[in-house]
Amino acid sequence: MARNVTNVSQTEEVSSTRRVIAASSVGTLIEWYDFYIFGTLAKIISEQFFPKDNPTAALLATLATFAAGFVIRPFGALFFGRLGDLIGRKYTFLVTLVIMGGSTFAIGLVPGYKTIGFFAPAIVFVLRLLQGLALGGEYGGAATYVAEHSPDGQRGFWTSFIQTTATLGLFLALGVILIIRQTLGVETFADWGWRIPFILSALLVGVSVFIRMKMSESPMFAKMKKEGKTSANPLAESFKQKDNLKMVLIALLGATAGQGVVWYTGQFYALSFLQNTCNVEFVQSNMIISIALLIGTPFFVVFGALSDKIGRKYIMMAGMLVAVLSYGPIYNSMYDNANLKNKIEVVAKTTVETKEAVKGTDNITTTVTKKTFEDGTTYKETKKLTVPLDEAKKAELAAAGKLKPETKKETILPENIKYKMIGLVLIQVIFVTMVYGPIAAFLVEIFPTRIRYTSMSLPYHIGNGVFGGLVPLIATRLVEASKEPGYSNPLTNLINGVTGHIGTPAGQADPLAGLMYPILIASVSFVIGMLYISNKTNNMDVE
Amino acid sequence: MSAIKRLFGILWSLMGVGIVPLVIMRAMEEIGKKPSEENWIFWSIVIVVLMPIISFSLITFGVFALKGEYDVIA
Repeated sequence: MARNVTNVSQTEEVSSTRRVIAASSVGTLIEWYDFYIFGTLAKIISEQFFPKDNPTAALLATLATFAAGFVIRPFGALFFGRLGDLIGRKYTFLVTLVIMGGSTFAIGLVPGYKTIGFFAPAIVFVLRLLQGLALGGEYGGAATYVAEHSPDGQRGFWTSFIQTTATLGLFLALGVILIIRQTLGVETFADWGWRIPFILSALLVGVSVFIRMKMSESPMFAKMKKEGKTSANPLAESFKQKDNLKMVLIALLGATAGQGVVWYTGQFYALSFLQNTCNVEFVQSNMIISIALLIGTPFFVVFGALSDKIGRKYIMMAGMLVAVLSYGPIYNSMYDNANLKNKIEVVAKTTVETKEAVKGTDNITTTVTKKTFEDGTTYKETKKLTVPLDEAKKAELAAAGKLKPETKKETILPENIKYKMIGLVLIQVIFVTMVYGPIAAFLVEIFPTRIRYTSMSLPYHIGNGVFGGLVPLIATRLVEASKEPGYSNPLTNLINGVTGHIGTPAGQADPLAGLMYPILIASVSFVIGMLYISNKTNNMDVE
Repeated sequence: MSAIKRLFGILWSLMGVGIVPLVIMRAMEEIGKKPSEENWIFWSIVIVVLMPIISFSLITFGVFALKGEYDVIA
């Protein structure tokens, strides 16, 4: 009889934990979706909201806005973390969800630069900041909430479901964008269709708010509040007391900084590399990433559960180490597989079509060149030259060197190479799952309940938001800088030495230059983590 | 092990201090060569956001390590 009661009680506990995980995860997933549709649509947003005169400046401006969304995250962590430790986890991460959903929805409604001029990028910038602020408060709340519901010895397993949400959010963002783009067509999508994924957020957030309203407060926090043991000033307690500050620093430098760059390299930079460096066509590149994300996602749970058995540290450190050692060969292989110089062209199948049209005050010449290669790769290059009909304007633009065609390059890889690319991205996603799967459990376990939300949120969001979030911006910049004369990249030199490649010709970008930043950060983080972090498993004092 | 941790503390502190002039000099050189808007945006983010975080955290962490604050945490 007593055994039956125990079994029933255990079953109820597991069922209750599952409900908590599901409700928390759905909301967090939607917040990540909201956050990532902006990054995924960076190019279109740059065309809609920033002046088109200089495409690189426009893209960088968008990336800067993107970075602003990331850089603001630590402030959200402080603001909402403090609230979460003062008034409770449940209401705080309900508020972050509403702010995120509201600002995402609003981005979908902002008129473009052509309609309202400078106000367009200014409004988008503010909304992006609000997104960053909300995300800064969300993750720590969700991770803390789930961890405080999880039984000892299973914290890595249960919190790993929260860890899947960032990747699934990105997957959802890519999926929604692909479906809408394919349904509406490329031109309509670029014109107004891109707004739908933003507007759709209102519906998703509405459902999630409804679910979260029904949740109860974290039992640990509720108990602490009832006993009057909550912190009066979580910020001061977290960052002014040496014992806590020490842990914040070790969490940042030994774990989240390295984890952040591995996360963003394996998912975001991989996509950017496929699209901008390898020129892989939009749909195919997104499919490659999406499939790799989907296959890799269960590994968050695998490594989260494994960390309950063998400890958090070694799994995270192993992830960083293999990432550092293999990024060079992986990206080199991705580049080689898409590089048209390594392929034999079927010249007989090459076609060139030129069309001229007058649009408003401009004459537009579009030249489309299509090439086919022996391995089945197809390549399409579209050059669009816009020349004013007015001779004086034309001469002015020519003198300024601005009469250059816009060039769009699209490579479609054959099936066998596509699968190879999926494999190469999947390896990176596995590294992500190793560093990211156990990290929520690691972070919640090193801080006490009274200041946990505040203390764990800051290193997490500096590591991911600042160190990780800046990967696309800094990597793009490093690739640009590699065109300068006298440039030398030790990573590329090493790879060229091993593979026998002759290196990048002077004046051309080094495709691997962007990797130097994540490799450097992850290396330092690995050394610090190995030296100073203990390999605790799950027996921490959550009180 | 404690001795190694403390010794590395010096390295982290030096890295934290050293990164400041290195980044500022590089920024001045690049902006001087090409004072474009994109250069200003990029280096502003690096100098205002990234560099202070790296520098402050490495110096503080290094000093803690050097003082043996992480000996016991192990």
